[in-house]
Formats: sequence, C-alpha cells, structure tokens
Amino acid sequence: MTTETTTPDNNLALIYGSLLLRLWLAMRAIQTGVEKFAGAKASDSAVEIDGAVNEYGLTAASSAKHYNLDNYHGVPEALMTKFKDEPLMLKFALPLYDKMLGPALILLGITILLGIGYRTSLFLLGLLYISLTWGLILIKQDEGVSWLGIHMILVAMALHLAGHNRLSILKKW
Amino acid sequence: MNPSPFSISRRDFLAKTVVGAGAGLILGAPSLLRAANADGSDKIHVALVGMGKQGRVLFEAMSNIPGLHFQAVCDIWDYNLKGGMAKVRALQGHMPKGYEDIDEMLATEKGLDAVIIATPDFWHSPHTVKCLEAGLNVYCEKMMSNTIEGARDMVRATEKSGKLCQIGHQRRSNPRYRYTKEQLINGKKILGQIVNINSQWNRAVASSQDLGFNPKLTIKQEILTKYGFKDMHQFMNWRTYRDLSGGPISDLGAHQIDIFGWFLGVQPKSVFASGGNAYFKDREHFDSVMCIFEYETPQGSVRAFYEVLTTTSYGGGFYESFLGTEGSIKISEIASSSEIYREDSAPSWDGLVEAGYLKRKPAPPKPAPSADTVASYESAAPEGFELPGGFNKPAHQPHLENFFASVRGQAKLNCDARHAFESEAAIYWVNPSARSKERIEFTTEQLSV
Repeated sequence: MTTETTTPDNNLALIYGSLLLRLWLAMRAIQTGVEKFAGAKASDSAVEIDGAVNEYGLTAASSAKHYNLDNYHGVPEALMTKFKDEPLMLKFALPLYDKMLGPALILLGITILLGIGYRTSLFLLGLLYISLTWGLILIKQDEGVSWLGIHMILVAMALHLAGHNRLSILKKW
Repeated sequence: MNPSPFSISRRDFLAKTVVGAGAGLILGAPSLLRAANADGSDKIHVALVGMGKQGRVLFEAMSNIPGLHFQAVCDIWDYNLKGGMAKVRALQGHMPKGYEDIDEMLATEKGLDAVIIATPDFWHSPHTVKCLEAGLNVYCEKMMSNTIEGARDMVRATEKSGKLCQIGHQRRSNPRYRYTKEQLINGKKILGQIVNINSQWNRAVASSQDLGFNPKLTIKQEILTKYGFKDMHQFMNWRTYRDLSGGPISDLGAHQIDIFGWFLGVQPKSVFASGGNAYFKDREHFDSVMCIFEYETPQGSVRAFYEVLTTTSYGGGFYESFLGTEGSIKISEIASSSEIYREDSAPSWDGLVEAGYLKRKPAPPKPAPSADTVASYESAAPEGFELPGGFNKPAHQPHLENFFASVRGQAKLNCDARHAFESEAAIYWVNPSARSKERIEFTTEQLSV
C-alpha cells in the first residue's frame, strides 16, 4: 500500500487545479477582450429564385461575424447610456474606461496565460472585475453582479493555488 | 460656388433635348441626362431644400449613391441650414452654397439638375412648382400637398415642364414590396382573391409629443411670418395644424394607403371615416383616425380598414395586411414585422418554396388544449412563410436611386406625380368624412387632376 504525499509542492492535483484555473481565467479574459472588436457584416449575396439571381435586389437576410479594430466597443452602448444617467458615475472617466477595458482584458489574460507576474496579474484582473461589478450595482443588474461574483471566487482560488503554479515566464510578483 | 462653369450650356443642351423629345417626355418618360460635365464626371448637381429631420434622412440615404454633387442647401432655420451644409461638407469635402430663400437659390445657382424637397407639407406644392418651372427635376416628400388642389398643381406643372417629379412614397421602390406585388400577388397569385386589407400605424403617446426647441435658436418672427408660421412652436409642430398639414392620416397613413391602390391597381369607390381627439385635446388635427375604403377590383370587392393612432403603439407599430381566400401577406417596412400565411385549404406552396419564391417559417408550438378554448368552427392554423430575402440599404435609398437613374434616362420613375396623385387623392377625403361623419362616394372629379 502506497501513501500519497500531500505537501503543496508536489501534489499533482493541486498543480493541475492551478493550471486549469489559470487557463480558464486567461481564456475568459482574452476572448472577452477580443469580442469587443467583433461586429456583424450584413450579407450582400443575392437571392436566387427559379435558379436565377432575382431582379429586385433581394439579398440573403443574414449577417456574418467579423473582427475589426473599427468595431471596438468597450462598454456596450445600452449600458453606456445607463451609466451616463447615474449620478455617482464619474462622467469624465467613462470614455477612458470604455477605451481601456478591452485592451486591459486582453493584456491581463495574456500575462496570466504566460505566467508573467502571475499573482499581480490576477490581483489586477480582480480589481477590473470589481470595477465592472460596481457599475452593474449602480444600474441594478443583479444577475451580472452574481456572475462577476463567481469570477471573483475563481480569481481568489487561483491566488490561493498560486504556490502550485508551474510554467511561468516571470515568477516574481 | 458652382464647381462647373460649363453647366449652363449643359442645361441649355438638356432643355433643347427635352423640347426635341416632345410629347413622350411631357407624358413622363425619363428626362435624358447623358451629357457629361466639362470635368467628365457626369455628376448630377443637386439642391437640398429643407434640411430638417426628413431632409437629413434623405441626405443620409443619398450619401450612399454615387455620382451626386450637392451644390446648394436651403432652409429657413439657420440651425438646420448650417447643420445640413456641414453634413454635405463632411461627405464631399467642400461646403455647398447655403440659402434661406428658395427663390434666391433658384435665381443664383446655375447648373442644377435636381432638387430634393423635404419642407413642411404646405410648402411642397409651391416649392415643387417653382423648381419644375426653373427646369429642375424634383424629388418631393409625400404627402404631395396639404390640399388636393396643391397636389393637382404639382401634376400639371410636371407635365407642362416635361421634367421629372418623383413623390416620396418610398415603398414603391422597396425591393420587398415590389417583389411581393409583382411575383407573389400578381405573378403566383398566392393570395387567391384579395377580399380585405387591414393596416395601421399606431404610435405611443411618448413618441407623439410636441417637439421642443432651444430658445437661443428661435427664428426671427419676420422670417417665421414670411414663411407662413405663426410662431416657433408652429414651425416645429406644423404637422398638428390644419392649415399646414393633413394630420396623422396624411403624415403616416399616406404611405400605407398608397400601397392599397398600388397593389390592387384601382382607386377606391368610397371612404367612411371616424376621428377624434382622444388624448391630444388641443390639437387641430385628430389624434386618432379610423377609416374604411371600398374598392372594386376585377376579382370582386375589397374593403380596406386603416387606423392611425398617435395615442398607443398597440398592435406592433405599422404594417399593411392583404387578406385573401388562399393566403395573407402582412408586409411592413420593418422586415421582421412581415409575415405570410397560407390558408389550410389552399393548394400547397411546396413548389414555391423549392424554387425559392418563399421561405418556410418554423412552425410555432401547438398550444395545449385548455378549458377556455372555443372549439366550434375554428379554422386550422395557417402555415407560416416569409420572403426569400431583404435588402441592406436605408429605407429611402432605392426610391432615390430610382429617381436619379430616371434623371440619367436609365429608368422610369416608380412614383411620378400623376401616379402619386391617383393614389393620394382619396386620402384628402378622409378628414372631411370624419368631420362630417358621413360616407363619401367618390366621383371621378374628386379623384382626378
């Protein structure tokens, strides 16, 4: 009968757990940031009727998703409108926040993925989620607040397991 | 400011061409604009008269059409004028000439080919007639005029001038409407016999409020008076005054009642209307109007019910439903509001679906039997279909494209002044019927120029 060691440094389960959390949080942040550059391009393909292109200019009513720098929208317009009406919201900071949100998510996602200042990156990601949570509390989006609360738990768990982290480029911070 | 110093001779050339073309052009055939400018650009030189909300909508649609040069902008409100000129500059890189007075514009600007008129309804007829007499092709917003006599003047002036006059019933150029009329109703006859039309434009109280304005931007009283407005409130809300507009039945209803006659191919025989001020009690025009037109078609009689309510958005906004013995089509400028249904007893449309004429809609879930279901004599639920496609352009763009293609001699107007009059004539009798509470049996004189 073998006895499995449970010290943090060599517990394979804890290493795997840390790695999975790291991958999940990195993917979540990167793709969320990338999606802020997504837009829909309406289809211009002509509809065929009786085997020929119709003469009325009817086009297939479909749109294809595409990514472009011009599509960037940090805070969705519907939320932005609500935020602007909030007395506690710092109006001058909104455009700045709108501009930095997407790039910040992508940057933090990459540093978490590559293990560059892993713990500090997680901490900053947590702060970013707190800022989003505050905005959603203002406009009474309770479901979004709960959703972000789950993210915060995952960030805290990742920090708790940071000692088992492997494959980092910069272990300091 | 005219960028083309050679435009005068080009206009002369065009005028001679029109004279030479004779009766064919006078009867509404396309005016020929084939001569290129001195710079070889072959651009159509356009003046924009009225740069309020609707004027800007038209300009946005035109900004997608190649080959146009916006030469002048005219509006009595400096705020609209400057804003409109700035939009033109943003589009074409240089500032157009701005005017408060249309007479001054017509006297000063040389080389204009066409004018887009989006002024208040009571100015449509005088402005259109002036521009036609000045030798310009005209695109004028609907309703043609606030009076039937004003609309008649527009038809007479168009036919006398030999120029083109397109009225802004933009659904007439909408690919979805044209396809529905030509292919589905007249071609494949999917509705069988059309027996009824139901249509509405209902708008919530919140969207029907008076328009306000910044007091700092108030127009001088002498200018307001000169152009027929009592005060700034009347200028902003001319649609609610009887001397300046036809009210909601004209503002909103004209678009849709136009479709009734266009699809059926006949004018109505009678109208009976009811109207009242249910909410906006101080307005001169009714805030709610309901009316029934009766048509005689080669297939049989058709009754068309129309309601325009500026007091509630009930019923999904605006649409026109054509109800037939074999199917029905609910069509709207908003594609998602459109629906097509086949009567359960009608011949199968599977062949039409396979050939691409229609798309089948996913069947809705069958409702569970309940105690309040009335089972007796209930018809089977009709099968749902939709058009095979839409179009990705601003709603007014195809109608404007048709206008400019006609100016170039490459197309025929989809809604020239005479056809627009034949369609609009009956609408002028809705308010009189509602006020007198009497049914009006139309005479030929009432519906003709």
